[in-house]
Amino acid sequence: MDLAPDAGQAGRRWAARLAAVSIWLLPLLAIDPTTYLVLTVAGLAMGMLLFLTAAGLTVIFGLMDVLNLAHGAFFAWGAYAGFAVLNALNGLGWVETGTLGQGILSVLLALLAALAIGGVLGLFLERVIIQRVYGDHLKQILITMGASMVLAEVIKVLWSPNNQTVLVPLSFTGSYDIMDVVINKFRVVAIVVGLAVYAGVMAVMQKTKLGIIIRAGVENREVVQTLGYNINRIFTGVFMAGAALAAVGGSMWGIFREQITPAMGDENLIFALIVVIIGGMGSVTGSFLGACMVGLAFNYVAYLVPKLALGANILIMVVILFIKPWGLMGREQ
Amino acid sequence: MTGREPTPVQMERLHQRSRRFTRPGFLIQLALLACLIAGPLVMPSFRVMDLVAKIMIFAVAVASFDIILGYTGIISFAHGMFFGLGAYSVALICHYSQPVQYHHLLLAGVLAALISTVVAVVISALSLRVKAIFFAMVTLAVAEFCHILGYQWSSLTKGEDGVSFKLPGVFSADWSGGALWGTQINGRLLVYYLILVVCALLFVGLVRFVRSPVGRVLKAIRDNEQRATALGYRVFRYRVLSTVFGSLVSSLCGALFAMWLSYVNPDTVLGTPLMLNILLMVIIGGLGTVYGGILGAAFIKIAETWLPDLQKLALSLFPKMELMHRLAERWILLFGILYILSVLFFPKGVVGTLRDQAEARRLRRLGRP
Amino acid sequence: MDLSVAAIPLMETKDLSVRFGGHTAVDRVSLVVEPFTLKSIIGPNGAGKTTLFNLISGQYRPSGGGIFFKGQDITALDPPGRTALGIGRSFQLTNIFPSLTVLENVRLALQSRENIGLNFWRHYGSLTHLEDQAYHFLELVLMAPRWAVPASTLTHGEQRKLEIAILLALEPELLLLDEPTAGMSLEEVPAILELIRQIKATGRRTILLVEHKFDMIMALSDSIAVLKEGRLICDDTPRAVAANPVVQEAYLGGGVKNA
Ligand SMILES: Nc1ncnc2c1ncn2[C@@H]1O[C@H](COP(=O)(O)OP(=O)(O)O)[C@@H](O)[C@H]1O
Ligand SMILES: [Mg+2]
Repeated sequence: MDLAPDAGQAGRRWAARLAAVSIWLLPLLAIDPTTYLVLTVAGLAMGMLLFLTAAGLTVIFGLMDVLNLAHGAFFAWGAYAGFAVLNALNGLGWVETGTLGQGILSVLLALLAALAIGGVLGLFLERVIIQRVYGDHLKQILITMGASMVLAEVIKVLWSPNNQTVLVPLSFTGSYDIMDVVINKFRVVAIVVGLAVYAGVMAVMQKTKLGIIIRAGVENREVVQTLGYNINRIFTGVFMAGAALAAVGGSMWGIFREQITPAMGDENLIFALIVVIIGGMGSVTGSFLGACMVGLAFNYVAYLVPKLALGANILIMVVILFIKPWGLMGREQ
Repeated sequence: MTGREPTPVQMERLHQRSRRFTRPGFLIQLALLACLIAGPLVMPSFRVMDLVAKIMIFAVAVASFDIILGYTGIISFAHGMFFGLGAYSVALICHYSQPVQYHHLLLAGVLAALISTVVAVVISALSLRVKAIFFAMVTLAVAEFCHILGYQWSSLTKGEDGVSFKLPGVFSADWSGGALWGTQINGRLLVYYLILVVCALLFVGLVRFVRSPVGRVLKAIRDNEQRATALGYRVFRYRVLSTVFGSLVSSLCGALFAMWLSYVNPDTVLGTPLMLNILLMVIIGGLGTVYGGILGAAFIKIAETWLPDLQKLALSLFPKMELMHRLAERWILLFGILYILSVLFFPKGVVGTLRDQAEARRLRRLGRP
Repeated sequence: MDLSVAAIPLMETKDLSVRFGGHTAVDRVSLVVEPFTLKSIIGPNGAGKTTLFNLISGQYRPSGGGIFFKGQDITALDPPGRTALGIGRSFQLTNIFPSLTVLENVRLALQSRENIGLNFWRHYGSLTHLEDQAYHFLELVLMAPRWAVPASTLTHGEQRKLEIAILLALEPELLLLDEPTAGMSLEEVPAILELIRQIKATGRRTILLVEHKFDMIMALSDSIAVLKEGRLICDDTPRAVAANPVVQEAYLGGGVKNA
């Protein structure tokens, strides 16, 4: 057992960690430090938003053994819900011309709307469709793929197939300038929210009874069932929470980019899948690390060779699969 | 025991042999082939020929997807991507070779086969070892990457505009060779027959594949992986083999598709809608049946052709409702709902359901005496 | 005895162990199986008999020790490799291909032996000899009349017999039989015992058998090994094992004799 690893092993592990961290300094060879810092903040912000989607995806997979390909659709729906709320509030003069307080309130309401719509969609999908296909990977993947397509199409019907511009309160646009390092304000918000969500999810997982049940379920589903907990209700709850997180991520993404499209869910799903594969399926911390890696790599490469940005992430995924077939924090089965 | 009378197994084999050429399935295939050959000569309509050519190509692409999904139980979201790799192989080689010649087509076919084999081997070697579900995730990511590459590598692929090209010699659109029984013999018609021949060969290849020893092992693996391993079958190799084979056929279908359109762009041959179409076709036809591909492709392609008319009808019925208009425009939405309902309530598809009935008949004949 | 003529044993485990978490299911077991003999393994439930089989056939990786087949170290070989070398096993819990026909279940074993699994250009219909052989193996286990039905429609006893037919079709040099009569109805058992006796009588196969029916083991076995809590506590002739006080206390006293 590795309860007491010998010193050499521990040393090697630290060396590996150090190497893993220092790889992220490599771009400094090609990028000047100021730009590097800007890109790093942008990468972390992107990573945090990816984490919001990936967290749900990975926990749903670990606990329920469901690969939910409709998870990206929650992201898109969250973005559109936030967009709709901001549009409506702009009619009251809160958004583009409002005070700081009104601005903050309207963003909060947008996020809240995303949270709600994510939860409702999650509830609907889990209860109406996914519960029928538990235990059947093939059908799950096929059916959630279909659900994802339908949800994206419904967005096109309700809003429009084309891009939409998101109205953003003045107080959230613009950037801080710290010694020439230009940091977009909303990126700071994204990083703060991402860290808070990570801390929150970890706290729930480590400290609460629900978290213990969920972790036990990820390890061994049968155990939870035999302990007499209503596993169905836990499944539904986790699914809704995951969907809501993804939707909040989508709404933040929309505010951050000031632009949304019906296809944004698919793009996000691809990134989230890469994150989950890198991090190891079922591991929240793995997803957090994976999301940071993907966000950073994407931004560095996008600056150096714009066309290869997604390719770089796929490359990282391939390399990780070579070294650790189960992902950074995934456990072999 | 000399002069031992034939065992029931041998008798059943004789029985099957004797009706080999009179089975309904065989006769239907023969009739279908005859129609496909005679069709354009008897009824020269470009619209119909276009539809039939596309159905043939997609029938084979869907059947090859069925080898991976239905027979091996692996979900590959890269099947559309392989289709696209084949299509782009033909398009780029024909576009950049001036003047284009017959051997360029051959070269494109070989290139398509080569690239798809290499890519499929790499992807499956990486992700099939771990868990079949990994394969779904990895292929989704890689396919999306290729889709984006199709847009962004515009110095080669011309991005969104796509690549149009000419086919060599008698296959070129402006070649004409007189008339036969009142039908114009032209480049399009010859490409149609080329597609017919290649598709027929590929389809026979697919059917032979599932009826080979490998096909049998694949079925066994799907049924009970642990037992198959204990019998001495290395499951990983079989999964890789069938994934590579299916992907290879898909890329050849893509090559034919490009030849038929003389044009490719990222959305039509690499995008998600293509992959969704293939999924829908395979579900409707029936997983694990191979022949289901024909029905699935025919159903969807015909529906696609008719949908614009249906759309007009719907609009004329509700001239005032804007939401109705938008709904009618989004026929993918209808397909999506149809697809979900089929997965839930019609999981065996048309051919699968028919097969179950045939199996029940066989059991009544051979089951417990 | 002239068993000593065979210089190397057919199969040998040396200090074989496997741990699950903190629990040692097989604990430094060194077992020698001479060619063309029948060795039984007995022991209470949970003693580690099935786990030992899983180690020998390669389903589990040992935590320590080694496995040798005809003198060759096979500890690192995967299950298909071991099957190819001539180690075949049946499973305690029925393990067949439920949706394939009974004949096809056996045919797949024959196909594996012929090593044509990766052939994708031949038509399986041209491999008629495999079907005929498969039918023959079904006859051996008295399952011929059921050749055409899907295996899932068989009764439990019939599935056990099919399991044995599959194993026989592999024609392994070493047969690992894990409680072949478990769950069979009483009238089905003698036929299976007779079959095992016949296989042994041919003198061409080596058998490692896990069984609880003690009388039957006494009559059939050349030697009996006793496992308890993962340890090998005794490995001797049936008579010596029956007389061994430790065995009597550990196993025979447990009332299993009249099971
Ligand atoms: N995969 C496994 N994981 C954990 N424990 C196992 C595993 N396989 C067997 N065991 C344990 O090993 C012990 C021996 O089991 P087994 O070999 O099945 O006994 P027997 O066949 O003699 O009745 C049991 O305590 C069982 O719980
Ligand atoms: Mg046992």
